[in-house]
Amino acid sequence: MTDTVNYLLDADKLSRRLSADAGVYDISIKLQRGDILGLLGLNGAGKSTTLRLLTGTLVPDSGDVRISGDSMREAPLQARRKIGYLPDQPPLYNDMRVESYLRFCAKLRLVAKAEQQSNVEAVLNECDLQSVKKNRIGQLSKGFRQRVGLAQALVHKPHVLLLDEPSNGLDPNQMMGMRNIIKQTGEKQAVIFSTHLLAEAQAVCNRIAVVHKGKLIHEDKVTGDNKQLEDLFTGLSADDTQAASA
Amino acid sequence: MIGAIAGFESRALLRSAQTWIIAAVLAIVFAYLFLQALETYLEVQPQLALQDHPTGLSGFLAVRYLAPLVMVFALIAPLLAMRSFSDEYRQHTMALWQSSPVSMTGLVVGKFLGVALVILLLVMVAGLLPAFMRFYTALDFGVLAASVLGLSLASLMFTAIGLFFSSITKHAIIAVAASVLLLVLLWLLGSAGSADNILTNVLAIFAIPTHLAGFFQGYISTASVAYFVILTVLFISLTIIRLDALRHSG
Repeated sequence: MTDTVNYLLDADKLSRRLSADAGVYDISIKLQRGDILGLLGLNGAGKSTTLRLLTGTLVPDSGDVRISGDSMREAPLQARRKIGYLPDQPPLYNDMRVESYLRFCAKLRLVAKAEQQSNVEAVLNECDLQSVKKNRIGQLSKGFRQRVGLAQALVHKPHVLLLDEPSNGLDPNQMMGMRNIIKQTGEKQAVIFSTHLLAEAQAVCNRIAVVHKGKLIHEDKVTGDNKQLEDLFTGLSADDTQAASA
Repeated sequence: MIGAIAGFESRALLRSAQTWIIAAVLAIVFAYLFLQALETYLEVQPQLALQDHPTGLSGFLAVRYLAPLVMVFALIAPLLAMRSFSDEYRQHTMALWQSSPVSMTGLVVGKFLGVALVILLLVMVAGLLPAFMRFYTALDFGVLAASVLGLSLASLMFTAIGLFFSSITKHAIIAVAASVLLLVLLWLLGSAGSADNILTNVLAIFAIPTHLAGFFQGYISTASVAYFVILTVLFISLTIIRLDALRHSG
């Protein structure tokens, strides 16, 4: 029991079949405080599905996830309270203003009334949104929208932050900003984010997991020498290109 | 939490221009129907007075003004409920609710209450017009209260149906069309065929007019109240089932 409580996120053999040739199988991931895990894979490898299973937005056929000891199957509400999730499309209401949207998100995640305002202020600063806090979300540029999406995932101080391709569509500058936020968050909590760029994973993560055809085929700490991982990943890409042309 | 979601939904409705356009059009419809009913009453009053038990102004307005409004609300309620879930699907915001510590029951009940609040406000406005006649003549508030209750219960049921169809499609307009079609069907059940046909009579038990008529004559029957409450709860439950299924269906 103590074993499970130590992990902020403990996924045990998650499987979910979506169709004959899509799904994820036997995904097991354990994250501790300070872990930043990059979920690396080609498009369609099962990264988003894996994240949806971890956040409980998709129910697995088998297996379970524990968030700081709370099972997504047995105590879904307690478990969900401790996750922050940014899907590949940030869940934003275009007619709301940034600040009131974030305040509502804090309320929704059961942040104590006295702390709601200070939490919102904190993420506004952290995600560099002070200048647009009174703007309607619909008027914001892609980069700002992505940051509001990230702020929404952070506002209740989750134990585990899960991001689905967070730097998609961002310019290099914004990408750097996003990476810094991920790194900062990773110092206090556990972060898992998906990407199809090896370089990005290497720049931010201290652990990398590779998903291919719905299976976790590699999981290791990031060390100075990543030759092996690079070979593996280029190999996968080549496989995929061959399969597509065949 | 349900209260917070209801507040969120009401506020979302009040932020949208569409709600205010609907409210403005309704104000015109209310005023037109009300004045028309009033004028007719003044015309026929001399003849009514000759009857043994003449219909008073309250009874007349209940049947000629408040009862037809049920049809108006059969369109308005689905129109106000149509975006509840369709918009969430289209804006990809369902993930926000699904990854938050909210049960789907809480979400659906909260959203229903949010839309219901706006609908009931509109029903109250409709009910206020006849009440103003109090300054000119004596009114039978029993009949008016029963009518407003009937109108409210029916509108809540229409809202639940609108909410359900909204949870099925991301196209809000399809949700409205489906809701209105179902309501027309429920309206016409058992109205065809002769009165001594068993099938006709059985179908009529499930028809809306069967249960609505009494309210506008000042009768509140338990069976009729139960009919509207049961259908409302049924469609709310179906919406919850639908949203729970969504979490399983990828």
